[in-house]
Amino acid sequence: MPTPEAAAPAAEEARPGFRLAMSTNNMSDPRRPNKVLRYKPPPSECNPALDDPTPDYMNLLGMIFSMCGLMLKLKWCAWVAVYCSFISFANSRSSEDTKQMMSSFMLSISAVVMSYLQNPQPMTPPW
Amino acid sequence: MKAFCAFCIVLLVFGSVSEAKFDDFEDEDDIVEYDDNDFAEFEDVVEDSVTESPQRLITTEDDEDETTVELEGQDENQEGDFEDADTQEGDTESEPYDDEEFEGYEDKPDTSSSKNKDPITIVDVPAHLQNSWESYYLEILMVTGLLAYIMNYIIGKNKNSRLAQAWFNTHRELLENNFTLVGDDGTNKEATSTGKLNQENEHIYNLWCSGRVCCEGMLIQLRFLKRQDLLNVLARMMRPVSDQVQIKVTMNDDDMDTYVFAVGTRKALVRLQKEMQDLSEFCSDKPKSGAKYGLPDSLAILSEMGEVTEGMMDTKMVHFLTHYADKIESVHFSDQFSGPKIMQENGFLMKDFISWGKGKQKADKNRARVEENFLKLTHVQRQEAAQSRREEKKRAEKERIMNEEDPEKQRRLEEAALRREQKKLEKKQMKMKQIKVKAM
Repeated sequence: MPTPEAAAPAAEEARPGFRLAMSTNNMSDPRRPNKVLRYKPPPSECNPALDDPTPDYMNLLGMIFSMCGLMLKLKWCAWVAVYCSFISFANSRSSEDTKQMMSSFMLSISAVVMSYLQNPQPMTPPW
Repeated sequence: MKAFCAFCIVLLVFGSVSEAKFDDFEDEDDIVEYDDNDFAEFEDVVEDSVTESPQRLITTEDDEDETTVELEGQDENQEGDFEDADTQEGDTESEPYDDEEFEGYEDKPDTSSSKNKDPITIVDVPAHLQNSWESYYLEILMVTGLLAYIMNYIIGKNKNSRLAQAWFNTHRELLENNFTLVGDDGTNKEATSTGKLNQENEHIYNLWCSGRVCCEGMLIQLRFLKRQDLLNVLARMMRPVSDQVQIKVTMNDDDMDTYVFAVGTRKALVRLQKEMQDLSEFCSDKPKSGAKYGLPDSLAILSEMGEVTEGMMDTKMVHFLTHYADKIESVHFSDQFSGPKIMQENGFLMKDFISWGKGKQKADKNRARVEENFLKLTHVQRQEAAQSRREEKKRAEKERIMNEEDPEKQRRLEEAALRREQKKLEKKQMKMKQIKVKAM
């Protein structure tokens, strides 16, 4: 049985070899667990041009057409508003508030329903 | 005995006499009693019933359609009364009916005949007055369109999701061999790999990788086509577009030298040069063809200086770019990246960056020049800001003096402000004199 004193120098001699093996492993393995950085979502204020403006425009258009359909009793306006709210929903970001989407959608549906309650006759094309 | 027999004979006699009387009553009273006035109202009826004639058929003379009027005997008697009353009418009296009753009747056959001559035009009922389902064809069209949109949304969303997952499954091993952290949404307390993509949209997926030598991290963004939007699908029929993978690698400061370089399709480089501030600032020349360095004609190069291009375009790089030329849109290297944050790269590159003597000095000079220009531009702004701060201070002090209630204190504060202003004026005058002396 080797004595602990004899074992210690042997261990020290083995260490450089161990270190060498470790360094070669590090050379081949590019991963560095100590250099991990967390993900930071890029703030949207920095890139307003890059963000797709389609959902916001469609939301606004939908509301305008809904109000036109309700006030002026135009059925085709109400139908276009429904389409706008659908397009806005399809293009929306996951971080966007769903309440805004739902309010626009419900407004357009109510515009269609109110138009038909006031005047049940079929729609005439605007042209 | 004899009395009893006589009694019986008398009874018999009485019985027979009474029977005879009843018979007489039945036969004779009819004739006698029915002559009373009580039955006078039925006399006509009786007489009519006795003298009842068979039903007579009367035809009007002027009627072409031969309408028939059936009259009973009662009507005959009434007409007979009329005949008795109106004796002066003459021939008309002999007719069974009065012409005046049928005054309009003669016209009716005439008008009906005229109607038969005019053609009958059948007019369609307007659509808005109909109640059938066919009149609501526009509504049905609208609902059908909405259903088609919803169907396309579901199909497109699922296809994008499947594409993203397939891409990730293909590259998972490569990413896990190169990075410690693969997949992070930034919400977890500890930095553990989620091992999945972050869905930003129905067509955009993100993946953050970190924990590697030479770079701080890598953000991969899968920008698919908007397959979930039917309008976009129709627009793409006019203008074909393809899915994009954008990779942004944030290098360590020590591991990258100071230069700006871009290689890619000519169209993409022209667009980048307009959009990116660093490319427009440091790479003012137009994109040059990459054929000089062994690249295909479809690829062009934007570089800050020639040494950078020569350093970048080694055999390994040229081989990689030639092999994937049709898949690459642009590769952009920059240490001055300040414009839109998304760097457009396609492909996964690892490069060891080396420094060189003159090129580095030139690059440093360029950066110093840019900094100077920036300072000049902002000099005016800084001056204005300082001026406004000084004015604000003066105003605040004046207000403090005005608000001071004690007149003695007010006077002392005013004097102090005056002295300070005089000192400043003197200093300025001194400076002006010094400058003049130096100029001389």
